Amino acid sequence: MSRDLAGVWLTEAAVFALVVAGILAERPWALGATGGALVVAGGLVRFVPRLGAALAGAFARRRAAALAGGAVLALALPLALRSSPYWTFVATLALLYVTTGQGLNFQIGTAGVINLAGAAFAGLGGYAVGLLTVAGGWPAWLAVLVGPWAAVLVGTILFVPILKTRGHYLALVTIAFVFIFNILVNNLEFTGGPQGIKNIPTLSLAGYAFTTPPALAGVELPAHANFYYAALVMAGLTTWVLRRLHDSWLGLALNTLRDDEIAARCCGVSVTRGKLLAFSIGNFFIGLGGAFYAVVVGFVSPPDFDFGYSLVMLSVIIIGGVDSIPGVVLGACLLVPLPERFRFLHEYRLLLYGVVIVVMLLYRPRGLWPARIRRYR
Amino acid sequence: MLGVMYALVAVGFTLFFGVLDVIHFSHGDIFMLGAFTGLTVLAGLRAAGVGGALLALPLTFAASILVTGAVGVLAERVCVKPLARASPLMTLLATLSLGLVIREAVLIFYPRGADPKPFPQLLPQGGVELGGVAIRYENLAILGIGLAAMVAVDRVIKSTKMGAAIRAVAQEPEAAQMMGVNLDRTVDATFFLGSGLAAVAGILSGLYYSEIHFIMGVTGGVIGFSAAAIGGLGNVYGAIVGGLLFGVLQTTAAALIPRGSEFRDVVAFAVVMLFLVFKPSGILGEKSVERV
Repeated sequence: MSRDLAGVWLTEAAVFALVVAGILAERPWALGATGGALVVAGGLVRFVPRLGAALAGAFARRRAAALAGGAVLALALPLALRSSPYWTFVATLALLYVTTGQGLNFQIGTAGVINLAGAAFAGLGGYAVGLLTVAGGWPAWLAVLVGPWAAVLVGTILFVPILKTRGHYLALVTIAFVFIFNILVNNLEFTGGPQGIKNIPTLSLAGYAFTTPPALAGVELPAHANFYYAALVMAGLTTWVLRRLHDSWLGLALNTLRDDEIAARCCGVSVTRGKLLAFSIGNFFIGLGGAFYAVVVGFVSPPDFDFGYSLVMLSVIIIGGVDSIPGVVLGACLLVPLPERFRFLHEYRLLLYGVVIVVMLLYRPRGLWPARIRRYR
Repeated sequence: MLGVMYALVAVGFTLFFGVLDVIHFSHGDIFMLGAFTGLTVLAGLRAAGVGGALLALPLTFAASILVTGAVGVLAERVCVKPLARASPLMTLLATLSLGLVIREAVLIFYPRGADPKPFPQLLPQGGVELGGVAIRYENLAILGIGLAAMVAVDRVIKSTKMGAAIRAVAQEPEAAQMMGVNLDRTVDATFFLGSGLAAVAGILSGLYYSEIHFIMGVTGGVIGFSAAAIGGLGNVYGAIVGGLLFGVLQTTAAALIPRGSEFRDVVAFAVVMLFLVFKPSGILGEKSVERV
């Protein structure tokens, strides 16, 4: 059993070291070497059946230890990234995408309510925070807690067309909503027009502003470390809550609703109730991500929430694996930092991004971490 | 005028939906590509010394339809057909990403692709006044070309062998195959036809606004899809009606509401949403009924 433990922690530490090395590598050969090492390691696990099975078994037997190890490493990440503070910010963004991705996954993956308006709901959260703090003078932390409810509220209004339409028409309704949202915030007076809302106050707790870089036993951490930890807590809580919901009777009912609406109705699942619950819960977390984004960055503007970001959120889910909760975490941690890492290709970044998604869908349509069939004991 | 362009794009959406039951979201960017191909051909013709609009315009349309149609078929082969049996979400994301690829490719590989490109004015300028309404020749020409394209499509679908095959596949792919219809060729032909129409719409849009931009496909595509959905997916005439209706909606919104030109799309989309609430499968109805 202690071999399991060693295996789990060693694997995690190795992956962590390689990822950090990959992020910090500056010379192309160093980047290539770490990338190659990751590929070789992945290939070994994938194509040497005994090694793969042994590791999978170890992780399955020592789940608590694996999670604890992951948490420790996640806490240590800003420390490891001290030489390049920008990356702590990128990691924070990735965690925000975990939060919104889980919310969106609950709608699309679990309940089958196609929502291409993720950007608009995140924007509602963000703009709510902007308006409450700048125009209303609220403290930032209160606004972040209240902001997501704007997304939920508007979501309930939008719910009527969503309930009435199916499939492609549903996709159209949500796309139309993103466009409406974007045109409105771009042209209305109180949302600041194309300029957006600037000077959103930062989070502060008992007089301690989150923008001051924290120091730990004399070692100064990057400036965004506070936000990183807050986002880590938020993403962790979101993942935990949605995991519990997914495993509950509600998740099961929503799954049947997704797979066959008529059969679900025959078994006594209320379609309206189920979809409304899934949609509102999902919107809350999408809005939470947007609200947190507003206080991290300090301003919101229309281009931050345009249709392209809906696509990024959707890609997070598809790359990770639809209805797969660990998949969403993996998807966000890959899709957000990777384009940043390959900044030197920045001209071709979006082009490659599109190509990668198309290739993924063609050859690995269930995602990198496919959802497992539910097990009941 | 706007309505005619939307209708042409919408017909593409609805044709693709008919044969493969998918929404081809990169269609908007195919529309944009058509406009850029047209611009390139025009520049080439001008360099070759072909100056007269009467000669240059048909050549431009023909070349752009050919190129864009070919790209449309390529897109279908690579990305749409392999996923046609996957869940709608997959095709949705795949075609949206493909659209992103096309868009970025134009941005990167077209010389100074990030700037809006001026589109030469080839149509007769000026106009007449009829009963207090000013009518510009240019608009009449756009209307004429658009209607001609629609009539041509109608002819192709109604009275050619390929058109019959398209209709057969739209009704029931398997039965059509049993009757000797080559499914792959029919699908290719449909995508060629639809993309060619988008190219016509793209050039018309260039002529209308005398400017094209690489992001014009995003709104163009969403509006085309909305128009197809208003008319009922799979129904070609519905798409035409939907396109015209969307154009009318936008124009009325722009005229009636204060600062209407900024909010015209908001109004139009809101009406589309409301419309789908009360008539979830379009004016003329979707081609199939849901069965248990």
